[in-house]
Amino acid sequence: MSAPGGIYVHIPFCLTRCGYCDFNAYAGLEGLRPRYLAALFREADLAAPAWVGTEFVSVFLGGGTPTTMEPADLRALLSHLRERFEMVPDTEVTIEANPDTVTEASLSRLLEAGFARLSIGAQSFDPAVLRSLERIHQPTSVRAAVAAARRAGFPNLSLDLIYGANGESLGSWRRTLDETLALGPEHVSAYALTIEPATALGRQVAAGQVPGPDPDLQADMFLLACEVLGDAGYAHYEISNWARPGFECVHNLGYWERRPYVGLGAGAHAYRDDVRWWNVRPPETYMEKVESGELPIGGSESLDPSDAYLEEVFLKLRILQGVPASWFDAGRYEPYLQSGLLVDDFGQLVPTERGMLLLNELVLGLTAG
Amino acid sequence: MSTEIFRIRNFCIVAHIDHGKSTLADRMLELTHTVDQRAMRAQYLDRMDLERERGITIKAQAVRLLHEGYELNLIDTPGHVDFTYEVSRSLAACEGAILLVDAAQGLEAQTLANYHLARDAGLTIVPAINKIDLPAAEPEQRAEELARLLGADPAEILHVSAKTGEGVDDVLKAVIDRVPHPGGDLHAPLQALIFDSAFDTYRGVITYIRVKQGTLPSNAKIKMLATHVTSEAEETGVMAPEATPVDSLGPGEVGYLVTGLKDVHHAKVGDTITLAGKQGAAVPLPGYREPKPMVWSGLYPADGNDYSALREALDRLKLSDSALVYEPETSQALGFGFRVGFLGLLHMDIVRERLEREFDLQLISTAPNVEFHVFRGAEEIVVHNPAEMPPGGDYDRVEEPVIYATIITPATYLGAIFELCQARRGEMVDMEYLTPERVEVHYLLPLAEVVFDFFDQLKSKTRGFASLDYEPWGLQEAKLVRVDILLHGEPVDAFSSVVHRDKAYEYGKKMTERLKELIPRQLFDVAIQASIGSKVIARETVKAKRKDVLAKCYGGDITRKRKLLETQKKGKERMRRVGKVDVPQDAFIAALRVDEGAKKK
Repeated sequence: MSAPGGIYVHIPFCLTRCGYCDFNAYAGLEGLRPRYLAALFREADLAAPAWVGTEFVSVFLGGGTPTTMEPADLRALLSHLRERFEMVPDTEVTIEANPDTVTEASLSRLLEAGFARLSIGAQSFDPAVLRSLERIHQPTSVRAAVAAARRAGFPNLSLDLIYGANGESLGSWRRTLDETLALGPEHVSAYALTIEPATALGRQVAAGQVPGPDPDLQADMFLLACEVLGDAGYAHYEISNWARPGFECVHNLGYWERRPYVGLGAGAHAYRDDVRWWNVRPPETYMEKVESGELPIGGSESLDPSDAYLEEVFLKLRILQGVPASWFDAGRYEPYLQSGLLVDDFGQLVPTERGMLLLNELVLGLTAG
Repeated sequence: MSTEIFRIRNFCIVAHIDHGKSTLADRMLELTHTVDQRAMRAQYLDRMDLERERGITIKAQAVRLLHEGYELNLIDTPGHVDFTYEVSRSLAACEGAILLVDAAQGLEAQTLANYHLARDAGLTIVPAINKIDLPAAEPEQRAEELARLLGADPAEILHVSAKTGEGVDDVLKAVIDRVPHPGGDLHAPLQALIFDSAFDTYRGVITYIRVKQGTLPSNAKIKMLATHVTSEAEETGVMAPEATPVDSLGPGEVGYLVTGLKDVHHAKVGDTITLAGKQGAAVPLPGYREPKPMVWSGLYPADGNDYSALREALDRLKLSDSALVYEPETSQALGFGFRVGFLGLLHMDIVRERLEREFDLQLISTAPNVEFHVFRGAEEIVVHNPAEMPPGGDYDRVEEPVIYATIITPATYLGAIFELCQARRGEMVDMEYLTPERVEVHYLLPLAEVVFDFFDQLKSKTRGFASLDYEPWGLQEAKLVRVDILLHGEPVDAFSSVVHRDKAYEYGKKMTERLKELIPRQLFDVAIQASIGSKVIARETVKAKRKDVLAKCYGGDITRKRKLLETQKKGKERMRRVGKVDVPQDAFIAALRVDEGAKKK
């Protein structure tokens, strides 16, 4: 029996496109939604036979903005997935939402349909930062969305935050963290803003029109998040993720623990036993392939032992589990123990907060040829 | 059979770069029907690709023109200050020189220097003003200027347009009428001057020679009087302009000799060829000199695996470049490479470019430096690499090479030139107005200061109007110190430099500031220091890196993230380690570029 798996479903539709975002997401393609939904059903049919024997513990609807789809459609989709894939009874089912795309009524229907975990893209509580990120919502709509979700009865809420946008100070970030805590989510993800070259923001930074994030300030913001969230009782279980005990995201842990996952939808990735493959990215191409009865695979890679080893090291160092010290010569990791970037936790090497900030350095240092 | 000696004229053209020497030669080739009209191409005699692109002539070459019953041997001279000695040997093969001056630009320092060489060698000067077709031409004024300089009648100065061909016939006529025919005894022991040599992959070493005495038959057994090497020569011939074998070369004649040698170092420019055995001459022609490198630089392969390829490439280049010297050298920072000696900066550029282009090598070169003589007690140490210089004060005195510089400039830029030369520790020798507007200034300057972008500065401060020529003058004591650059306490040998004490701080500050921008942040604060001995004179700090990780890593990010790590890993492997500090190769290249010396146009 293979390790428990996860199912990722990609919904590529957004109300607007944000300047920093390099996800496979599109604004203005809402007209494609019914056809896209049908394609997801069909792809599940095509993909499922290969996964017989794998038990699934999580479903994750990401995007894009999954809540741009009708709750009834999402309910039908989830039911279809339950028919095609073997799921455990307490399967974690997450849906991502943007604050302006949900109401108490729509959230009630989603919860009823089985989406028990809601991940809200809050990003910041500073209006200036939201503008700088080209987010269309206001801090008040985050509060409203959380309140609506609670009224609807959601037991497991996560808030996504981004720090280090142009103009954000350490003080502003502290207020965002405080506001987040005031809403009492079960789970918080906090991401240092990364400039991707192929985005509007990436081009502005390259052209010198907007300053890029200051890595030292982002480091301070990270350490502040560790402190504030830690003090509030959240466990720091992955570089960018904190949770109240028992609310760690089962689905995302699967990526870092290198468990298998199915990917459905345009550009979605799948992985099993050192093979990774991914669907074609453009929604139109994706749908055409599926409609012709073909798996919409755009590419694949087979990890050789050295690739697999590198992934094992850099993924497991992201989580508290760490990697066994016995994998490396002591000469490789001892300097990091001494400089306080790693700790030796009963034979497992685990990065400290400072070590998490320098994870690339640690991975390169530990695995250097 | 050889031409009668009184019908031979051996001459060269003395001119500044771009004053039209090659074009004049082209017109002469056409006018004398030496080259077929269909085969003619611009700058015919400048064979090498490199020369054609740079618009200069490196290898001297002789071409035979037949005109109205006369044999005219045009001997091409190198047109650059690096090759003064080669110029002097070419002049020694001639009885006359055409002094060619651009009608718009007037006399330049190099032309003047070469004119002095030609006059001192006893050559008859045929002055000519070129480019009279140009709208900006001032032929009358230039003619007057030239006439005054030569102590000649302005009427003797020819007016030419090498471009249109106007006046070229007069030039040939003047060469025949004014330049004396060579002398030489047909039956005396052979003395033939080597004024150039080249290496041909198939035929080995080919020398260009001027027979002074005696006769050189084809297939002779020959001997070099300086290197004492003997050889079975394979062919004598003349360039007309393609190589044309002849039975023999007699006194006064110019031609080539396929020596049968495989190494150009056995047939050096300035050496005398005679016949081996009893009938050979015992006494060489005067004026032979070993080529002496003036500028040194460390050359390292960018990829350490290319070391042996670089060695082979240098060995190959040396076959055709007798002035090139090198010795293996190890740098902590740059690995295995060579310390290479060059005649000058142009020679350095040419060698580096040929290594990169012809041998497909990527090189890192250290800032050029001169040779220092360090005296300690009775000991004299000759230093070619600043890192070998004993550290602060551990010697009695240091001497550095000084050059005698000739600068010709419009008078309006005199102030700028004084300022520049003063800043470069120059000492004025004298100054002379060639015309009310043009001045010739002589300075003694440390060569080290000239190597340091002097030429660029001179050109930019005078809008390109001033010209420079120099010759070695000797050694002079100077207050020189070695400035080391340290990374995190470790000296980086490739960045060590010997500079004047008054400029040490400036150099140290510039290098530390530059390196601060180039060295990536490490896991710890990296101190960048400049020091003289143990005394730190400048310091910068690269603050420790605190964050490098990508914020998120979910299912679709893993492949990209892994590839990024692999790329970074390769980048890290390519980095050079200095103590604990990782320095990217680009940082070395960029940091060393700051001090790169004068690039010649």
